[in-house]
Amino acid sequence: MDNMNNKVLKIENLSIAFGGLKAVDDLSFDINEGEIFGLIGPNGAGKTTVFNCITQFYKPDEGKIYFKNNKGEVEDLVGVKTHEIIGKGLVRTFQNIELIRELTVVENVMVGAHIDFKASLFNQFFRLKKTREEEAKIRKRAEDILDHMGLLAIKDMLTAGQPYGVLKKIELARALMLNPKLIILDEPAAGLNDTETLSLVNLIREIRDERNCSILLIEHDMKFVNGLCDRICAINFGKLLAIGTPQEIQKNQEVQIAYLGKEDD
Amino acid sequence: MDIFVQILLNSLETGGIYALAALGIILIFRTSVTTNFAQGTISMFSAFFATIVLMITGISSILAAVVGMIFALILGILVDFFVISRAQKVNPVSKQIITLGLIMIFLGLAPMLFGTDPLQFPRFIYGSHSFFGATISYNAIFNIIVGLILMGILFFALQKTKWGLSVRATASNDIVARMMGIPTASVTRASWAIAASLGTLAALMLAPTNSVNLSMMDTVQVTALLACILGGFTSFYGAVIAAYLIGFASNLISFYISSIWSDSILYLLILIIILIKPTGLFGKKVVKKV
Amino acid sequence: MNNKLTNFYKLHKPYTQFLLFGIILSFLPLLVSLGIVKYSLLTTVASILIYSIVALGLNLLLGYSGLISLGTAGFMGMGTYLTAFITADLGLPFELALIISVAVPMLIGVLTGLVSLRIEGYYLAIATLAISEILRKVFIEFDFITNGFSGKQAQYPKLLGFLQLDRNGTYILIVFFLILVMVMMHNLVNSHTGRALSTMRGSEAAASAMGVNIYRHRLLSFAIAVAFSALGGVLYMHFVRYTYPNAWILMLSLNILAVIVIGGIRSISGTVLGAFIVFGVPDLILKRLPVIGSIDGAAYIFNGVLIILVILFYPNGLINIRYDIQRNLRKLFKKGEEING
Repeated sequence: MDNMNNKVLKIENLSIAFGGLKAVDDLSFDINEGEIFGLIGPNGAGKTTVFNCITQFYKPDEGKIYFKNNKGEVEDLVGVKTHEIIGKGLVRTFQNIELIRELTVVENVMVGAHIDFKASLFNQFFRLKKTREEEAKIRKRAEDILDHMGLLAIKDMLTAGQPYGVLKKIELARALMLNPKLIILDEPAAGLNDTETLSLVNLIREIRDERNCSILLIEHDMKFVNGLCDRICAINFGKLLAIGTPQEIQKNQEVQIAYLGKEDD
Repeated sequence: MDIFVQILLNSLETGGIYALAALGIILIFRTSVTTNFAQGTISMFSAFFATIVLMITGISSILAAVVGMIFALILGILVDFFVISRAQKVNPVSKQIITLGLIMIFLGLAPMLFGTDPLQFPRFIYGSHSFFGATISYNAIFNIIVGLILMGILFFALQKTKWGLSVRATASNDIVARMMGIPTASVTRASWAIAASLGTLAALMLAPTNSVNLSMMDTVQVTALLACILGGFTSFYGAVIAAYLIGFASNLISFYISSIWSDSILYLLILIIILIKPTGLFGKKVVKKV
Repeated sequence: MNNKLTNFYKLHKPYTQFLLFGIILSFLPLLVSLGIVKYSLLTTVASILIYSIVALGLNLLLGYSGLISLGTAGFMGMGTYLTAFITADLGLPFELALIISVAVPMLIGVLTGLVSLRIEGYYLAIATLAISEILRKVFIEFDFITNGFSGKQAQYPKLLGFLQLDRNGTYILIVFFLILVMVMMHNLVNSHTGRALSTMRGSEAAASAMGVNIYRHRLLSFAIAVAFSALGGVLYMHFVRYTYPNAWILMLSLNILAVIVIGGIRSISGTVLGAFIVFGVPDLILKRLPVIGSIDGAAYIFNGVLIILVILFYPNGLINIRYDIQRNLRKLFKKGEEING
């Protein structure tokens, strides 16, 4: 715990099993502040399960998840309620985009700041001053983020029917609303074409540089991961294979066999 | 001692009635993924039909019960054919509301077709027997045994027959079951038919002590649903055991505390148990995939 | 600037509409006293408006939390008995009765919710069904307060201790409360709680990742639904001035559900439309028809069949008919233009 100086997340001996099958097995890694960190592995390696454990959608059987929250305190996330995670400064996106079709783009983004709304129920029922002020303030914040991403023009449209690449960006915008310390992205480039992927790489770098946060991402696209990540952690069958820079991971034989092995066939 | 034996015997009868109704609800829950709130109303409707047939033709009550159960089978098939099978893509909440709509339809039709007066349905068998100082009617013994036999057949069918396997497969994963070539549509239809039929038998077992009337199944319906919750809504066995336990508790409460408030006290007790053990007495916790 | 204007328009347009609707409704007593419409129509419309209030609360629960309550009638009935007891038996002011008669059912509702909402959604329907059975038993058996089957009476409300309302005055009070509830619902749905509920409905995973406490929001929407049910009960008691146990049966709860499903889920105007269809059509049309009018269960069958048809074929409710007509008309015009061009 005391060696968290420049780390934002430190996972120690994480394990979870589903019906006897170990989905994550004694996994440990850590993420530095300001780092873009990739988690890779073949299908079914347990990547999303790791994410779900960190964000407390699943309760791990064993292990610690130390996180330096936005107050600078280090705490173990295990046992924290799922809906309390975002308040610590940790926010995620989903593999299958989880946006709300009936809400407009800007409304969807505003949901990202849900915990910043303090107006009481009574206040909301009658749309009193506090409700109006909060709405205006947070709507402005959402619009600024959308503007930055070049999405301001569609802010009042419904999300239903927007192109896939745009939806991915809206979900990312929603994740930025609270200035998180760590953003977890579940396959951000999946389903995007080359141009969209390239602009996403730039966007993620920009977010890291401007917002001074760390990013943890899962991705299948090796080119994307190698080009973007500072360090990569490769896992298979829930177990750690290797951690290192993209170059080190590419050279690692175990990783090649488990993940890139197909190239030899 | 004799009082306790009496309570135990009564509980076997009421518990059996609850169990039959609860089995119908679980059967539909597992094949159609909805809690069928109309189970009691459909049973009431069929019980009215059986009673009218009995009054017109003068057949024995056992025969009338068979007629009522066959009528319920057909009714279950019709409900599935006209409504449920068309609602496959409807979300679970709307499906529940559909079964509530069915209540309205059958509760509207019943007085139109059968009149508003309560009707009498005779016992299956008359006479009684003394047993450790307690009296039990032959009718109650008949009900207990028939109930147990039917449940036995159903459990055997669920475990050993192709239909039972199909029900369990449909229940665990509808889409995969369909891909494996299981005719989920006809499995669901059969479940609606059997559920209606079981409920009707429960209604006719209850009828002689009460009467055949529009609200005859209200208490049974609520109790059966609560039995399903207590059983965890996943297992057939759980619901049946819970139904017998509730039957026993209900008789205990009406005898020792208050017969007027027995149902209310029972409902509150069950709600408190659910608060303490949310997944029911036998249910397992399920991890949802994100 | 232009942007700001559209925003203002978008936000305030419904208020004007609601207000206009209220003003139109307020003319009804005048029409009755001029002899243009029948005296009994006022009672029918008043009860439709009361059921609209109840259904608006339930629409939040069903539409945004995807939960069903079968205790609506029970909680409404509780509101009637409480306010009758407080004003008629204890002789306390109407305003106090209103607050207590809404607060007590809400508390019981929250307790029911605490039990059932932690687990699967469908548990709430069953738990509220059980609670409403218990409440009905209480209405019958606590005869020292409720007078059992003979029922209980109350008077038209006296506001602020001196303003004694008559039948027309009470009707206007009901209109006032309906418009108030419509405005409140509109505001809530368009504030952060409304967005959180929408998100919950669309994706529980996204909602909890964004910090929405799902259990608390389910409980909240149920508490609001119960509160509006009880408010409806209070208004009912002081307009009809009579309550009895058999008025608060499951069938009423089902009719209120029918209001939402038929009228339009998650729609304020749809809910009011639904109330006019479910409670108005049987009273105003079905009863006047030959043969069908004399059948007892016709209204139940009408609503039951309509619920199923709407869910199967028009799941967003009949309020959307106007949009569909508009769209089709536009298509028609376009076709015409193409032919002409």
